[in-house]
Amino acid sequence: MDIRGLLLVNSGNTRQEDLSFLASGPLGVLEVAGKTPLERMAERLRQFGILPAAAVVETTAPAGTGISIPSGLHCVTSTPDRFWRIAENAFNDMAQNGAELVVLIRLGSYAEIDFEQLVQFHLDQGSRVSQVSHQGQALDVFCISASRRNDAASLFRSRLNRCRSECPLMEHERLVNHLSCARDLRQLAIDILTRQTQTCPAGEEIKPGVWVSPGAMIEKGARVLAPAFIGAFARVRTGAVVTRCASIEHHAQVDCGSVVENSSVLPYCYVGAGLDLAHSVAGMRQVANLRRDVTVEIPDPKLIDLISATSGKRLLTSAAEFLTYLPRVAWEGIFAGGKQAQPDLNTALRKTSPALGNAAGYETPACDTEAAHKFPNMVVARRYGHQ
Amino acid sequence: MDINSRPVVVKRMPERLNSRTAREFLRDVQPFLHADRPQLVFDLSQVVQLDAAGVEMLLRCMSEAHKRDGDVKLASLSDQSAVVLELTRTERLFEIYETSTDAARSFSGFLPNAMRQQLLHNKRPAAPAAA
Repeated sequence: MDIRGLLLVNSGNTRQEDLSFLASGPLGVLEVAGKTPLERMAERLRQFGILPAAAVVETTAPAGTGISIPSGLHCVTSTPDRFWRIAENAFNDMAQNGAELVVLIRLGSYAEIDFEQLVQFHLDQGSRVSQVSHQGQALDVFCISASRRNDAASLFRSRLNRCRSECPLMEHERLVNHLSCARDLRQLAIDILTRQTQTCPAGEEIKPGVWVSPGAMIEKGARVLAPAFIGAFARVRTGAVVTRCASIEHHAQVDCGSVVENSSVLPYCYVGAGLDLAHSVAGMRQVANLRRDVTVEIPDPKLIDLISATSGKRLLTSAAEFLTYLPRVAWEGIFAGGKQAQPDLNTALRKTSPALGNAAGYETPACDTEAAHKFPNMVVARRYGHQ
Repeated sequence: MDINSRPVVVKRMPERLNSRTAREFLRDVQPFLHADRPQLVFDLSQVVQLDAAGVEMLLRCMSEAHKRDGDVKLASLSDQSAVVLELTRTERLFEIYETSTDAARSFSGFLPNAMRQQLLHNKRPAAPAAA
């Protein structure tokens, strides 16, 4: 039987506050633990023998830029206004090319569906269109008889809200993530890293629970605690701590001494030195703080910045840094008056973020202040245990 | 019991707190900071942009106040300022209150209810279970 897959990715159900994260496309094409939900779903279709699959992705960027397209997947990008028309055309192309059934999925929700069960359900019901539901709520996952073009057309024209024929629901009981906000994106990363999903993080598991993609750089003195993921060409600089289901996506950078705890750092995001990023999603010069349930813009590039996606620009920035390094060291050597004394642990624990400058010499206690005042000689290790 | 009769100065911070506005703000509050045992409350309810220079200015004010045995307290933090203070590890240095009134009253007496609010707000959720 010829069964094909059609994946639709748009920002239809994304929460208004989190639209700022969509500069590089809808949440369905943002990488989570090394792969986009689109890639993971395409892989899943392939595992069930649903081939070939095609995808229609909504984007405001020039065709295809910034979107990671899985191999073996025919991908068409579209502007938001033409999205549903292009999706309908893609369906019609499949029907014309001999498909008997089309599995239609909108990301939207990321759900680990048993497609074999779905196809069997569709055939047993003898219906034109079948839909998947989770806890009584309909998901945007359909199985459509390819010959029923009018039913498919009514579905596309109503943006998957209405079908002209009866549409039986198949209850799905496994994992569903609605991918509608930053919290969902974070939850998906946690589920993947804690192996609650059937899909796993991209890259090599260098030690239990720590996945590292090719080209990632973890500098000496940095600490990565399981479960965690470091994406391709990401950089974790010395003294940084990545812990508790943190996910550092490709080309992201965590600068010296920063702590990334239970957070996602999106691709090409720079996290400044000496910061505490906890329970957040950072990227596109934004931080979505999940505890406060708020997304804020961080205009200061010393705190959160966007690294250029163009390799040429990154090379130029690195070259400029390299060229200014020696004169800077020489200048400091001449005018700083000799080598600085190595600060002891107690001093180091009370440092503010280097991004703040000297800040009148005031020091931030990173440990229990009360205890430190009572016992000035006591060394209190940070709760992350890296020092 | 020592009844505090010294004035508490409440200053509303500007919407955008970058290096220029921070300098101006610091110039404004300098006379209050140089008083004996200064008591200042900064209202951050209108702050929509706070950068490293702004945080540095807050720390500078606190440092100046401490030198003269005074204190600086923060009130009505906007979402933006709360996230930046947390990100830069500086929120734990300040007493933070829901309202300027609470902050001003806290100079003359301990406000357990106001403090409880703050502690509840900062309470961390449990870490996700490891595999």
